[in-house]
Amino acid sequence: MAKEMLLPKDPRYLKYPLEGPFDQEKARWTAFNCSRCSVCKWVNSWQVKSARYARICPQHTRYLFDSHSGQGKCDLALAIIDGKMKWGDDPEIKDILFRCTMCGGCDAMDKNIRDAELVKLYRWMRTEYIKDQGILPEQKPLVDSLKQYDNVWVQPRSKRNDWAKELKALGIKDLNKEKAEVLLFVGCTYGLSQELKGTIVNIAKILKANKVDFGILGESELCCGSPPDKIGLPDEFERLATANIKRFNELGVKIVVTPCAGCYGTIRVEYDDLPVKKNFQVLHVAEYIETLIKDKKIKFKKEVPVAVTWHDPCHMGRMSRPYVPGKDILGVYEEPRTILKAIPGVELVEMERIKEYAWCCGGGGGAFTAFKDFAQWTARERLTEAKDTGASMIVTSCPWCESNLRAGGIGMEEKMEIKNLFDLMMEAL
Amino acid sequence: MTETAKNDERHQQILKAFQAAIGVENVKDNPATVNAYYGDWLPPKILGMSMPPEFVVLPNGTMETQAVIKICNRYKIPFIPVGSNQWSLTGSPNRPHTVIIDCKRMGAIHEIDEKNMYAVIEPLCTLAQVQAEAYKRGLYIGSPEASATASAIGGHVFQGMWGVGYRLGVAYRNILGIEWVLPNGEILRTGSFSQDGDNGFWGEGPGPDLRGMLRGYAGAMGGVGMVTKMAVKLHPYPGPKVWPVEGTIPNQTSTLPEDRFKWYMVKYESLEDAIKFMYEVGRAEIAGVVQKWPTVYYIWWWANSNEEYWTEWQKRTFQDNVKNAVGVCLWGFCSGKQLEYEKRVLEDIIKETGGKPVKQEVYDMWVPRTANNWIRDTHGSRMMRPSGTFLALRLQTDTLKFSIGQVKTGYKWVEKFSPPILDSDGPDWIGGYDFGHFGFGETDFPVEKNAEVLGDLMGKLLEMVKEDVGNGLENGVGPFLGGAYHQMAAPVFKYDKLLKGIKRAIDPNRVSNPPHQIDPDA
Repeated sequence: MAKEMLLPKDPRYLKYPLEGPFDQEKARWTAFNCSRCSVCKWVNSWQVKSARYARICPQHTRYLFDSHSGQGKCDLALAIIDGKMKWGDDPEIKDILFRCTMCGGCDAMDKNIRDAELVKLYRWMRTEYIKDQGILPEQKPLVDSLKQYDNVWVQPRSKRNDWAKELKALGIKDLNKEKAEVLLFVGCTYGLSQELKGTIVNIAKILKANKVDFGILGESELCCGSPPDKIGLPDEFERLATANIKRFNELGVKIVVTPCAGCYGTIRVEYDDLPVKKNFQVLHVAEYIETLIKDKKIKFKKEVPVAVTWHDPCHMGRMSRPYVPGKDILGVYEEPRTILKAIPGVELVEMERIKEYAWCCGGGGGAFTAFKDFAQWTARERLTEAKDTGASMIVTSCPWCESNLRAGGIGMEEKMEIKNLFDLMMEAL
Repeated sequence: MTETAKNDERHQQILKAFQAAIGVENVKDNPATVNAYYGDWLPPKILGMSMPPEFVVLPNGTMETQAVIKICNRYKIPFIPVGSNQWSLTGSPNRPHTVIIDCKRMGAIHEIDEKNMYAVIEPLCTLAQVQAEAYKRGLYIGSPEASATASAIGGHVFQGMWGVGYRLGVAYRNILGIEWVLPNGEILRTGSFSQDGDNGFWGEGPGPDLRGMLRGYAGAMGGVGMVTKMAVKLHPYPGPKVWPVEGTIPNQTSTLPEDRFKWYMVKYESLEDAIKFMYEVGRAEIAGVVQKWPTVYYIWWWANSNEEYWTEWQKRTFQDNVKNAVGVCLWGFCSGKQLEYEKRVLEDIIKETGGKPVKQEVYDMWVPRTANNWIRDTHGSRMMRPSGTFLALRLQTDTLKFSIGQVKTGYKWVEKFSPPILDSDGPDWIGGYDFGHFGFGETDFPVEKNAEVLGDLMGKLLEMVKEDVGNGLENGVGPFLGGAYHQMAAPVFKYDKLLKGIKRAIDPNRVSNPPHQIDPDA
């Protein structure tokens, strides 16, 4: 008779142990099983293409001490949970937790070698920190704005109508009054930024020209909940997300499309953890438009002769799918590349760190608001990498990435044009 | 670091001295920082045997490192240098007032000399970084089983038992010039750096070759003062300029050019037959890698999730197919013709020694996903996957033939200690090096990561080691690294006087890396 196999006694080693709400027990498991292998600090070795662009974690690359890495955060979580430290013991704990851009680079690299959820751990740590020490003063205006205006930009709701008026002139449906198959969920940043609102108009024009049955919510649109989710305010996230799910379900839309990577990742992945269930599909506009291109519904009329490189927004890429142990870390990687390749005259050249290995722009996780210097330093690293490809333009489709890359580029000797994918596309139509 | 200690006058003096030497922003003593510098995958932290350092300092370059080490000597406080901090072998402080010298500001590749085939690097440079730059130039540097995330300098001064050591020499013998801050703070330049600080072309002389004071196996195995710059050998490489990877994490595969690389997975009836085959391959002076991996290695490196690991293990996917198998990677270093010649020779040897290819489906599972990449990076940290950590029974460096006995006695100990050792199918890693002129044996297995289990196992292993020492360590040295290793092995192999003498001469204050080094006063 064959001898019985000696398997681990703790069943958590036998299969994925982190399903369901991420609580203290799961946080401890994740932190305790860090083996200090340091993969959270580097691009996966197989994919390292040069010494210069071998790092994955902006925070660790900038602040150097291991406390600012995934490994250091695991050590901190373990010390806190095991009662060896308290959140208020050291003022640097705030920086360690909140300078992180929550980009998920460490998380993706770590998933190559173990079943872990580092970003969920960081979110849990931020929540616990805020419970104990309060909201960061730098982030208080953002949080107050969410509570007061349901957006993060301290803007009245009616401000969303600035661009909505333009769209209404195009005959775009107002879903508060009419029905449509598709909701174009604009998001706070595209919706309220003077600098970025042209993108929404361009997207609406592209969809309209292709007879897509879609509409907008205008001033009744709420924040998707991504900022409070990332900075550690789960109650505020749940309030906004639940309201959105209920509203979208009531509207009867089949698809919610959004051009914002942050909204996309949040609605697609994070909403799944809530009790209210989604009755709609979630797509990034790039996914929707790629289908139109593949179906040959979009005809380009003009040539745009330019060498471009594509910046993968974290929440459109590695952070845009729930983790299935052992399965690919998927994301919207190919769709924007297909669109770029379809534009006549555009030459796509790739950076070294792309897709699940992409270097973050620096604008996520609250860093854009609370740690501007660091956010812009991270952006400059990305722009330098983009410049090294020989491209003259970096293209992306995330308002945080666009804004932060622009801010980071100020003062850089070599200029790099930063453009939204759909604005570039519009030039060829 | 308690508040009392921080307010201590001596602590403040040392803090100010470090800050003056390398800048305020490069010295930290706060709890959140030091807390990140005492954990590793080994038992000490779990068993409460390690403690946070008092300071973490980030010097930049040789002069700042020298200043830091001189301060450590002035105040007689221990220091531990760390490289890329991958696994942090014996890098955990085990006594109060330790200073961690972190090399995060020393990550430059100073030079890659294509013509003379060497690279001059700083301690943070990982092997993956050096590899990437080398590939572009048609050159190669190996990677140990631990992973290419390891510091290249750390790998060279520790063991450097990388697979390609079979053909290209193990890493510790690929060291050329060294710029090195000794434990007492003096700067020593060896090899051609002693004549010209920018030229790393040769490793020897003039004068005595001092590399043995620093490196494995079994010199000090690193941690003697701190190496701040090293020239390492690079080798001809017939592969692509950028490492070929397809797929997405964690399902990645690599396909190497068929006209230059070919893996053979050859199965034998017995371990003895497998080792005989390894000797024959060496005798023919062919191949780039010759390794007899234990079954547990196959699944460690192959599985993409815990569930996949334990499901495949229970299905015996690897146990029934790769037991006593040898992996041979032929490299056409010079040409495709070389590869064709070596294929013919190897196939004759396989025939003569009665080898059988492993099942095609197992070959197809293993080679693209693991073996091809294994010459760049093993994903060694997957070894923690199934149970949170792993340990080794013994390490042994001798001949290939000797390894047979060593791993076979290892089977008995593994059996005896199971549980807490988990299912591992008689682990027996035997690596062939220098065309099979020497062999390295290691017996690694998964063990559950918790204090109770590890405490129990460490006690048992200590009993085994006592018996081994009594037997003259003829079956290898137990799973203890650093100081404990030397304390045990040095008297048996009679290098203790030499190592202690060196330590006394260059580390009069006994400040250099106490967990890692032999204690001359013990």
